[in-house]
Amino acid sequence: MTFSLTLSASDLLLLLPELFLTLWLCVVLAVDFSFKRIVQEQLAYLTILGVIITLACLAWFDMTGITGTLFGKMFVVDRMAIFFKVMILLATILVILLSIDYVHRFSLFRGEYYFLVAMSALGMMFMASANDLLSLFVTLEFATFGFYVLVSYLRDDMASNEAGLKFFILGVFAAGLLAYGISLVYGETGKLVFSDMSGATPTTGLVIGFLLIFAALGFKIGAVPFHSWIPDTYHGAPTPVTAFLSIAPKVAAFAILLRLFLVALATFKPAWALLIVAASILSMTYGNIVAIAQRNIKRLLAYSGIAQVGNVLIGLAAGTKMGTDSILFYLLTYLFANLGAFAVIMAISNSVGSDEIDDYRGLNRRSPFLAFAMLIFLLSLAGVPPLAGFIGKLYIFVAAIKEGLYILITVGLVNIVVSMYYYLIVVKKMYINEPLDSSPIKTTGPLRAVIYVGLAGTLVIGIYPQPFLDWAVAATLMFSNLIGPAASLTPPVTPFGS
Amino acid sequence: MAEYTLLIILFAPFLGALGLIFVSNRQVSLVRGIAAGSAFVSLAASVYLFYAYDSVKGGYQFIQRIEWSRQLGISLHLGVDGIGTPLVLASGILLFAGIFVSWHIKDRMKEFYIWILILAAATIGVFMSLDLFFLYFFYEMSVIPMYLLLGMWGSHTKKYLEMTDPEGLKQRDSVGFIFNFGANSKEYAAMKLVLFLSAFAVAALMGILLIYKFSGLNTFDILILREKAHFSGPLATLIWLLIFFGFASIAPIWPLHSWSPVGHAAAPAATSMLHAGVLMKLGHFSIIRVAFEILPETTRELMPIAAVLCIFSIIYGGLVAYYAKDTKYVIGYSSSSHMGYVFLGMAALDYISLSGAVIYMFAHAMATGMLFAMAGWVYDQTHTRDIPSLGGLSNRMPFISAAFVIGCMASIGMPGTVNFIAEVMIIVGSWNKYPFQVVVAVLGIVLTMAYLFKMMRGLFYGSMAEKYSHSHDAVAVVDRMPLLIMITVSISFGIFPGHLYSVVRSGVDPLIARITKVVPVAELPMNIPQASSHTMPVPAPGEAIAKVTSR
Repeated sequence: MTFSLTLSASDLLLLLPELFLTLWLCVVLAVDFSFKRIVQEQLAYLTILGVIITLACLAWFDMTGITGTLFGKMFVVDRMAIFFKVMILLATILVILLSIDYVHRFSLFRGEYYFLVAMSALGMMFMASANDLLSLFVTLEFATFGFYVLVSYLRDDMASNEAGLKFFILGVFAAGLLAYGISLVYGETGKLVFSDMSGATPTTGLVIGFLLIFAALGFKIGAVPFHSWIPDTYHGAPTPVTAFLSIAPKVAAFAILLRLFLVALATFKPAWALLIVAASILSMTYGNIVAIAQRNIKRLLAYSGIAQVGNVLIGLAAGTKMGTDSILFYLLTYLFANLGAFAVIMAISNSVGSDEIDDYRGLNRRSPFLAFAMLIFLLSLAGVPPLAGFIGKLYIFVAAIKEGLYILITVGLVNIVVSMYYYLIVVKKMYINEPLDSSPIKTTGPLRAVIYVGLAGTLVIGIYPQPFLDWAVAATLMFSNLIGPAASLTPPVTPFGS
Repeated sequence: MAEYTLLIILFAPFLGALGLIFVSNRQVSLVRGIAAGSAFVSLAASVYLFYAYDSVKGGYQFIQRIEWSRQLGISLHLGVDGIGTPLVLASGILLFAGIFVSWHIKDRMKEFYIWILILAAATIGVFMSLDLFFLYFFYEMSVIPMYLLLGMWGSHTKKYLEMTDPEGLKQRDSVGFIFNFGANSKEYAAMKLVLFLSAFAVAALMGILLIYKFSGLNTFDILILREKAHFSGPLATLIWLLIFFGFASIAPIWPLHSWSPVGHAAAPAATSMLHAGVLMKLGHFSIIRVAFEILPETTRELMPIAAVLCIFSIIYGGLVAYYAKDTKYVIGYSSSSHMGYVFLGMAALDYISLSGAVIYMFAHAMATGMLFAMAGWVYDQTHTRDIPSLGGLSNRMPFISAAFVIGCMASIGMPGTVNFIAEVMIIVGSWNKYPFQVVVAVLGIVLTMAYLFKMMRGLFYGSMAEKYSHSHDAVAVVDRMPLLIMITVSISFGIFPGHLYSVVRSGVDPLIARITKVVPVAELPMNIPQASSHTMPVPAPGEAIAKVTSR
């Protein structure tokens, strides 16, 4: 295999969003170093500006249909990659907005916080485009690198340090597994690019190799049994970082999982489907049951996140075009609800100084807006109509039932009810219990903006999902050769007219 | 304009709720005005719907179809038949009455009206959905507001108040606490209600997903599924059981009823009215709409299950109501007992009995709405629901006690109220098939008299405790109007049932014809679509060819 590293203008075009963001990050750092007295808000908005321009560039790609591969297929720009990148950048913008008030808690704050956030986002953008085992490893580590620092950013806080250490040690261990898995797979097949592997014969080494790779990716998405770092890390990390960690790496890792399982391993679907089914059932059940016992809202969302990943894995287990559509759509709904919930948590933690669920007592009397927003986000996570989460869950179930995954769906449905219990306990504290301290809670502009975006996303997708469904469906056209749902086989149904 | 009637009925409360979000809680009259206004628009449109529904033509009318998701085959497909129309009307009446019943709520009035409007609109949405997805969508959507309504504005039971410290910190949150009678907090009641209903709702959702998969039509549209989907064998049985028990839990049929009296008791008056009046009917209605329409043969085979369970509902509910000491528990158990009559009418699968069941749903909505409204009034005045400590209130509240007598008469099924007509139809219609059940049902009526008269005596007659001498009667127009509306509806349809009957009959006839006359599955020649009922339009050419599932 030979790499041609001569880049033509059209090749550079494909890299434009990443290149631009890289340059912009340098600008952010340079501005930070050059102007000692710069207000940190301005730095935040400067970073956001860069991310927005990158988003615009991606939107332009999506509309004009610019796609292609680079570096001997290592780096691919297709509509799915663009979809994932848009989600990652959206999460980045919201997380930077969340951080603006929080960074005052950091001792010795410098602008590198925003640099690190955006750099992680850059790494995850590369993850969304990774198309072979080498780029998988490099981009995964690139993306995680920034998080190692971000998680332990509260230097004087023991919990934050513990979180950082735990995340680092387990992360490095996962990286080791990943490297070992990649070497085994390469040794068995002699191939690195996903799409070249589809014809490989399954040998013991290959199976072990892929299991190791799955373990490393399972670590990223926090699926059971690779979840052990999640609760402590979420709990200890600075809240905006937790919010970022709860959505962006998962989104990026799912991009890789989709390419790995549905492109490289498409022919072995019966074998890996069992693996995914097991991981999904374990994640949903474990996450939801343990979440019931939580007294801290960040830990609650950590466990609920494990359960949500289990839900997304149902779509992967379906392994069809519709399954991938449903994964993309679900992640989008999860993004809005989850980041919105974290924005409310931060607003409360800023004025109450605690993340304990008991301190949410009487929130409805202290701040009706925050309570309402939290209600909407939690119910969306639980999957209650007419909110986005319900459509996401239903889409996944429909995709799965077409593949006959009855047990998985039954477990998923039962878990909806279980999850409803602990979300409603939070609702109970907010709405039914009387506040111990009835002083009103103030929210700042940036947090409010995030909450509004979350509410708009959750409600609009819930009430009128068609454009978002269309977008997800268009993004995964590359998978339409998979054994698709029966939709394409039967003639369109014309309804009884009025 | 006329073709948008359903959209107006459905979206007026939603828009009202949306509008209320932007109003401050301090503008009391504006809050009340928006709530009452949107409820009135909805009510007026549903009255129009009821009289404009063409019972000669029958079938589904006022159809609206808005595509919602191509990928999933979902459209917002609305339409009513003779069964949905009276239930939409009942929801409209109870919502409007409920707004006035809760006129004096002081705590967070705006939020109360928002949730009650969403609750009613979601209920109405179920009654007019012709799409399985939206049926479930509205069904589940109606459950969540109940949690907040019960939790925020509900009341604890007497036993619970006696056993906890005054701050109410010792709450019953645990899920395992299911069989706890008589000593529950409102939080417990709310959580139990939501978890119970959601658990069974997801069972129904599983049934819906199975219908979606095995019909092979890639649509959730009930009208298409009823024509072209065909299920047989163990699969049909499984789907039917999932659908039946999933929806029967809200009805509530006997072994699944325990959430219901607890929930009714904890709820504020207007919520109990809507809950017992229309929310419970979602169960029967959804069974009729999904199981009867899509799985007619299986319904014929398995409906005897309902005939067995309804006996337990009637007798058990009646007996517990007789011994209960809490006004709302009595009415709650009486409701769950009376829902047994509806199941009996449905189980007999007869033109008369099913029509009776549908009319009974309407009639019961009015009767139980009145009783809950008045129990709420008594609670507001005396702050207790404990019957033994009350008594002699007729001195203080002559209007309420007179209305209560009428409510009890309606609930018993006194001639002159619409309940009488419904009960007679159920009893006459089921006699041929289920004589034993009919005997039980008649005994159940006697039992109803016993517990309602007992409660009436306990509340309004006898000697009055001194501390209640400051309680007030309903004097203002806003307080009397909701009761008068329900009494008027109950009596006027009792005396002139003609239009109600013909509307219901036009919905029931094709359904029963379909269930009783279709050829059993085994005798059908292969690949021939199932016989369609006479009221449905013939499918236009170019539609999907019927697919007979053989799996």
